[in-house]
This record gives sequence, C-alpha cells and structure tokens, in this order.
Amino acid sequence: MRALWTLTVANIRSFIRDRAALFWTLAFPLIFIVLFGLIFQSAGESRLNLAWADADGSSQSGELRAALDAAAGVNVEDFAEQDALDRMRRGEVDAVIVVPGGYGAQLEANAGSDTPSAPAVVRVYTDPSQASLQGSVYQAVGSVLAVINMNDRPPLVVPQPETIQTENVNFISYFVPSVLGMSIMQVGIFAAIPLVADREKLILKRLAATPLRRWQLVGSNVLMRMLIALAQSVIIVAVGSFLFGVEITGNLLLTALFVILGSVAFLALGYVIASFASTEDAANGMTSVVQFPMMFLSGIFFPIQAMPDVLQTIALVIPLTYLADALRQVMVGGVPFASLGVCAAVLTGWLVVCFAIASRKFRWQ
Amino acid sequence: MTTPPATATDAVIRVSDLRKYYGDVKAVDGVSFEVRAGEVFGLLGPNGAGKTTTVEILEGLREPDAGEVRVLGLDVARDADRLKPRIGVSLQTAAMYPKLTVVELIDLFRSFYPKSRPTDELIEALGLGERRKAQSKELSGGQRQRLAVALALVNDPELVFLDEPTTGLDPAARRALWTLVEELKASGTSVLLTTHYMEEAEILCDRLAIMDHGKLLEVGTVEELVSKHFRDRAVRFDSNAALDGALLRPLPGVTSVAIDDTDTLVYTRDVGATIGALLTAAEARDVDPQNLAIRRASLEDVFLALTGRALRD
Repeated sequence: MRALWTLTVANIRSFIRDRAALFWTLAFPLIFIVLFGLIFQSAGESRLNLAWADADGSSQSGELRAALDAAAGVNVEDFAEQDALDRMRRGEVDAVIVVPGGYGAQLEANAGSDTPSAPAVVRVYTDPSQASLQGSVYQAVGSVLAVINMNDRPPLVVPQPETIQTENVNFISYFVPSVLGMSIMQVGIFAAIPLVADREKLILKRLAATPLRRWQLVGSNVLMRMLIALAQSVIIVAVGSFLFGVEITGNLLLTALFVILGSVAFLALGYVIASFASTEDAANGMTSVVQFPMMFLSGIFFPIQAMPDVLQTIALVIPLTYLADALRQVMVGGVPFASLGVCAAVLTGWLVVCFAIASRKFRWQ
Repeated sequence: MTTPPATATDAVIRVSDLRKYYGDVKAVDGVSFEVRAGEVFGLLGPNGAGKTTTVEILEGLREPDAGEVRVLGLDVARDADRLKPRIGVSLQTAAMYPKLTVVELIDLFRSFYPKSRPTDELIEALGLGERRKAQSKELSGGQRQRLAVALALVNDPELVFLDEPTTGLDPAARRALWTLVEELKASGTSVLLTTHYMEEAEILCDRLAIMDHGKLLEVGTVEELVSKHFRDRAVRFDSNAALDGALLRPLPGVTSVAIDDTDTLVYTRDVGATIGALLTAAEARDVDPQNLAIRRASLEDVFLALTGRALRD
C-alpha cells in the first residue's frame, strides 16, 4: 500500500513538473473556455428577449409593457401565457412576464385608497441555471417597476419570481462541461507518452526487478490520473463560474462518478496507444491522431445533430461524445443526447475493451 | 587472489547450461558458472556477447529457454517474490524518472521494499549529497550511474548485479565507482558485474568469466587465466606489413604470434633472443618496428587468444 501511494505521489510530481502535460490538460482547456466564453458572452448579452403574456388587457398593463419595451436592450413580444412558456423552454425567449387578470383593477383600487391592500403582482419566469441572464431580467424588470412605485410606500406592483427549466442551456454553460470532458480525455490518453518513454528508457524494466507488482504500477497510474481529473474539474468549473457565471446545478457526486469513470476509460485507451507505439515519438503522433477527431466529432464545439450523417455515425461510437453528454446533463441540465445509463454503459464498454486489448498487447520491456 | 573452491552451500548464483535464443541468434548458448558468496564476479566480453541477457535472466527479467538458474538458493522464475527483496539491480541504462529528484527516487524505491537503508546514508555513501535536490535528468553520467547503484542498494541486498556500471564514464567517475564496488565487497555483499573493460575486470573481479558469442570461454581468477594461457612474455610493436607472421613465427623462442590492424604481439619464452632476431630481420628488410615494448601477458592477451580479436571500447 505504501509503495502504491509513494508511486502515485511520484507520478503526480512528474506530471506537475512536465510543462507539456500541464499545458494540454489544464492550460489548453482553460484557453478554450476563456476564448469561447468571451466570444459568446458578448454576443449573448446584447439583447434581452422578453415574452409578454397579458391576461389583464387593462391600460395599466399596457403602460407597463410600453415602459419595458422602452428600456435599453430589451425587446418585448406578445404571446398567450402557455405559448410564451413553451417558447421559453425551447430557448426562443430569455424570460416570460405574465400579467394576471385583475392587475389594472388592483392598481386602481389601491390608488384610490388610503389603506391599500396587497400590491398588484406580475410573475417573472426565469431559468436559474442561467444566472447572468436571470440577473439581467430581474434588473430590467426591477428598474421599470421602480419608476411606477417611485413615490409609493408600500409598493404598488411587485414582481413574483417564478422558475422554469429551459432546454436551451446557453453556450458557455454547454461548453464548460464539454471542455471538462475533453480535458479528462487528454489526461487519460496522454498517459501513453510517459508510459512509452518509461518503457523506452527501461524504467519499467528496472521496476520489474523490484518487489513492486504490476497492479501497483497500473494502480498508481489510475489513482494519479483520477486525482488529476478531479482537480481539473474543480479548476475548470471554478474558472467557468468565476468568469462567466456558469452554475453547476446538478448532483456533485454523480459528476464526480462520471469524471472518474471517464478518466479510467480514457486511461485504458492510453494504455492501448502505449501498447502499439514503440517509441515516444510514435506515442505522441498516435495520441494526436486519437485526440483531434474525438475533440471535434463528439459534439463539444457543435451539436452532433448539426453534423453530416457520416460524422454523426462516428460521433455515435466515440467515448468522448458520451462523457461530454453525461457531464452536460449532470452538471448544467443539458439536453440528453443519450440517457445517463447509456453514457455510463458506453464508457464502461470502452473501458472493458481497452483493458482487454492493453492487457494482451502491452509490453513492459 | 586465489579463492578456495566453492562448496555447495556458499554459491550465491549457480547457472548450468543456460540457453536463450532469439530466432537464429543464440544470445546465450549453454552457459554454466557459479558465483561464490562475498566475491566480485565479472562477466567480461565485447558488446553483444550475451552478458546482459545472462544477467537479466538471473535478475528474473527474462525467461531462459533452457538450463537451470538458482540465485541465493532460489528458483528465479518460481520464487521471484522471495528473491527480489534480497537482490539489487543496476541495469545497463541508468535512466530513471527524469523529473524526480535524487531524494525522491531513493525514497520511492525504498517504499518498494520491506526493509531499507536510510535515504541520507545512501546519499552519503554514493557521494550524491550536493545533488540530492537535483532532478535525475540534470545529473551527469557518473552521478546517474551512482544514483542507479544507490537504487540497487536501497534494500541492503545480499547480491548486487551491476550491468556495465562504468560504460561511458570519464576516468575519474569510473574510479569512484570502482571504489564503491570495493566497499561493497568489503561489506560482504556479493557482486556480479559485466564489463568490456579489461582494466576494470583485472582490478575489481575476484574471478571472472570471458564470454563471447553466447558462450563462456574460460572462468577463473585473472592470474589463473593468464598463467593458463601464457607462460610467456609478449613483444609488441605497431603492425607493419613487412613484418608478417611468416617472418616472425620461425624466430628463436617464439611460441605464437597475433597480428591485427594496429598491434603485432610475439609471445616468447626467450625475450632476448627473440628481440635480437627480430631487429636483425627487420633491418634486413629495411624497416624499423615502431613502439617496441616487452610485457607480461595480461588479460587482454588471454582475451585475444580466446576470441581472436581485441576487446576495445
């Protein structure tokens, strides 16, 4: 046990001191997140689309609508309530404002009374998983209501927050778990390079002359890659949430389980690469050959549904598709491409197949 | 330098009729020898002689095709778990995890063994004190070899395998490693080392085996080997086409002649008579033997006689 742990710590030290490994597994994904985050953040925040569902139809509700429409950067469209909510679920509008029947009458009654009863209410539907958007909506609605309520205490109109889960996770929320999946893939398959280097330099052979067992050697590699993948998850999520307000709404335990399953499956793939690469250069080349198609065909940068049929077929079999999909579902409530069970099954399948190949083909000397 | 004959109990390594073939290449072809407890035993031979293959079979890193191998009384293949904690190994390539420091590597290897020597003691013993915080990739060749030996000694082994420990080292680093092997011997540790340096074998080894083309040609102490093959002394000079074997062999006292591209060696029972006749014969042909010298036969001469070629770096 002591040997396993010491070797794991030694592996982590070697990893942290290896600039290339650090770049590909940490800096590279973070650069992606920051770059894409900045591009899509500015595009996304330029205009706020509000759906207006007026069940009252009074002059007072008309005034409120006009005031909202006049606010900077806000666009208001009229829909029936149910239609408005459906549109929001599909991501066509950012929020829904519902004015209930009796809104105008309530305002009039309170205006003529010295002892006003409860204020009139408008319901504001937002998606809490899109925190920055939610904030903008509250801000826009709040500033308009502040004008109406200006001289009145207690207020005449209050917003009643309602939540609704939308299918269309905004781009950066979609992107952060995807990039996490990509970097977990990299931690796993990049293991091939030091493995082949250690074999080439006869370090594996030297270890074979000690009482260290092979399972301890493999186990320390698995442990180390798992710990790095978990650390990576924390860093990537922290950057996503700090810079772009991406909120992790899902189950952390389930997230960790998929991070671990993914890192072990991709490590097994790394061992397969190391089984067929006889030199460090060959391992480098083969890792790239595996890495880049996976990166671009797994729905990380563009949705799988938008790809040509041939590429969709490839996307259907590569493991990163399922890891990224599972992480999106678990972390930000993304639209499932496959159910979590299927994702877990496909990743496990890859793990089993890669393990079987590597245990037959991997050479220690 | 003569050691008493080995008894059945004090052999740390016993190899009989060991064979390892790679296709048509007979890397090890029927090798038998014993290493006695507490001795430094050398396998001497040119590159490709089969030394490393033999040693790696003894270390349990390769499976033999045939033959019997017992190390510390244990079957290498079957009792590997019991054997490995008791032996120390330094491979021909002394590479280690490049980004770990000397201290980290020694601590790592210590964790593999049930009992181990203190890290500081090893660092001190191998003169790595100033480089203890250096990553292994930053070490010089000599330091890296010393680190490899330190790693071979972490478990305080009864038997140490050193495969070409001084290859590629400068003379000072080589001498430092020799001192280390002598210290090991003084502490009672048995050592099996391979080398292709004659001088190293002569200085370090209690007994040695000369190996070529997968076979052991001779086993014994340096003195035994030399006196077995040469009662004579050798007259050497730079090879010269005018002074060929046909001319040299009939000279008085000559027992044998070895000529290669650079050196001509004339082994003789009567140095004075041979040199006189040689100079007369040379003068008659109007040539002058360059760098003429007389010496006792050495291990080099034995090797040349056994393999028909010089052993050079």
